[in-house]
Order: sequence, then C-alpha cells, then structure tokens
Amino acid sequence: MSIKNYDELNSLELDTLREIGSVGTGNAATALSQMLGRQVRITLPEVRIMGYNEAIEWIGGPEEITAGVLVKLSGQVNGIMLSVQPLEFVNIVLESVMGKTVTDYAQLTEMEHSALVEVGNIMISTFINALSGLAGMDVSLTVPAFTVDMQGAILAVPMAEYGGQSDYIMTIGGNFVSEDKQVPCRLLMSPDLRSLNALLRKLGVSDG
Amino acid sequence: MADKITIGIADMKLAKGEGMLVTYALGSCIGICLHDPALKLGALVHIMLPLNMETGRKNPMKYADTGIKETLKQMEAKGASRSRITAKIAGGAMMFKDGSGSLGNIGQRNIESVKLNLKKEGVRLLKEDVGGTVARTLLFDVNSGLACIRSYGRQELII
Repeated sequence: MSIKNYDELNSLELDTLREIGSVGTGNAATALSQMLGRQVRITLPEVRIMGYNEAIEWIGGPEEITAGVLVKLSGQVNGIMLSVQPLEFVNIVLESVMGKTVTDYAQLTEMEHSALVEVGNIMISTFINALSGLAGMDVSLTVPAFTVDMQGAILAVPMAEYGGQSDYIMTIGGNFVSEDKQVPCRLLMSPDLRSLNALLRKLGVSDG
Repeated sequence: MADKITIGIADMKLAKGEGMLVTYALGSCIGICLHDPALKLGALVHIMLPLNMETGRKNPMKYADTGIKETLKQMEAKGASRSRITAKIAGGAMMFKDGSGSLGNIGQRNIESVKLNLKKEGVRLLKEDVGGTVARTLLFDVNSGLACIRSYGRQELII
C-alpha cells in the first residue's frame, strides 16, 4: 500500500530504510576514511520522521552556524541530500587535507571551501551509489551547492521543498566515529513521498 | 527586557502590551510582524511556502496566504482595527546558490506572495529586509513595534 504521509510507515518499511541508511553511510564512511587517511566507522544508522520544529531541535538548535553541502536527487528517486559539517568536522578535514585548522568559518579560503564541498559531494555520491545499486534504481545528482549559515535555515530547505506534501520531514542518515572520537558530521537524505513509495516497492517491502 | 515568546516554523503567536516575539533562522521562510500600535498588539507568523493548495488545510500558518488571513482574523478578534495594522517582514533568502537552478527560488516566491497578500488584505507594509542569501533571526517588540534582525556575518539591523 502506498503511504500518503511519512508517519504511516510500518516497522518493516522503517527497517528497510534503516538498512539503506546503514549501507549508504557505511560506504560514505569508507570514502571519508580514504580522504582523511584514518579509520572512520558509523554508529547506528537512523531513520527519523520529525515535525519541523522537532527536527531543528534534534540537529542542535536553529542558530548554530554550520557548513552545508546540498545535492538534489532526480531520476527514479527525487529528494535532497545534505552533508551538515559543524566546525569541528571542518577542522578534522582541513587538518588531514591541508595541515591547518580555523576558529571561524570566515577564515576559510576559496580552496578550503572547495575541499569541504568535495568531501560532502563524495560522501553523498557514495551513499546514493549504494542506494541505487541496492534498489536497482537510476538516480541523477546535481552539482553540489555550498553555504555557511544557521543550521535551522539549512534544514528548512528540504522542509520547504516537500512542505506542500507533508508536515513532517523524513531523514535517513548516520553519525561517524573515528579513533573512538565522534566525527560530528551528518549525512541526511530526504526523499519526496512518491520516491519513497517507489523505493519501498523496488525493495519488495511494499505491495502497492 | 520583555518576556521572550518563541515562534516555530509554520507557527504564529500574539502578544499585547509587552512581549518580545522571536523566530529563529528564517531562510527561505518569511517572518511577518503585524502590529496595531493603538492597542500595542503584535503578532508574528513564520510562513514556509507561498500558497496553500493542500487538501485538508490542517496548518494555515505554513502558508503566506492563509497565514496572513488567519492572523488578521485573530488580531481583529482581540479588538485590532484593520486600518491601523501595519506589517514588517524579513526572510525569503536563497540559502544555496546552485548553478543549475533546480531548487527553484522558494524565497523569492514567498516574498511575492507575502506582499501580494498584505496588499489584498489592505495592510500597509512599513519595512522589509528580504531576499539575499543569509538566514535571519527576527525579534519583534510588540510594545514599540520595532523589529531586530540578526544574521551570521552581518550587523544587527533594526527595522
């Protein structure tokens, strides 16, 4: 049966999405560890269905400044994928790639911006490659866009994009750990409802 | 300082006499401050999308058209007079400048819809800080009718 809202997903469907999240973030972690030259693992992957304001609290409050890389998905899956990069993560990347750190996003050079976009883009692409292989669906990605601003406003981008369909946002993603330390970077995928139904059908957990 | 009252996304709150209405991190969303200076009655709506075409229409405050209409109704129920009500707006930014333009510009559509609907309802737009690419936190003092806008990497702005 097709669902009309994200909160109608049953536990089998949620488990399937969690599995996608697990494989997707797992592959992204491997890509990240190659880029950073150190081991990166993932913690438990999460599928969350949240109200708008709940989602903003979950990510750590509206006004916190973070970097965000955004890629739009089209083809057989429509959606938005975000790589949210707090300053601590930015410094982990800069330290291993450029051998320096910053105390504020304003100090980032053009070159360092590009490095962050590329890291986000590679993680997102690996996630989507895994998903597309698992479900046998073709997904195209746009060129990544980058911003540094309040994370509430960054998270509001996928909300607004699908706000006409639902009062909830669904995110599939996970957290990364390296050398027993949390790598505070989030990879979030927000599919639109139709794609979500198509995805569940392809994976054989929905009979619609 | 007056009590802070927080307004979430797709939400609206009113305050009379004293009170600081606050909404955080407006990106493409718009915060609309409506004010009746005679009563010192103020309302802040945080809308996300330009037009309500949803079936069922559970949440009017998510949209510019139904959000403005419903807020004015609630203000009038508290004695506000349409001819005195003025508006100040902030938000409608484009958070990601993507070359392909595939995300569309929801912020710009929100700005146009908010202005159109204020005009339709006969509410005068006094001040605005809209568009651009920065997120805004909006604080609205219902006593003075002044609004303060905070952004990352920009000076605080009073409108």
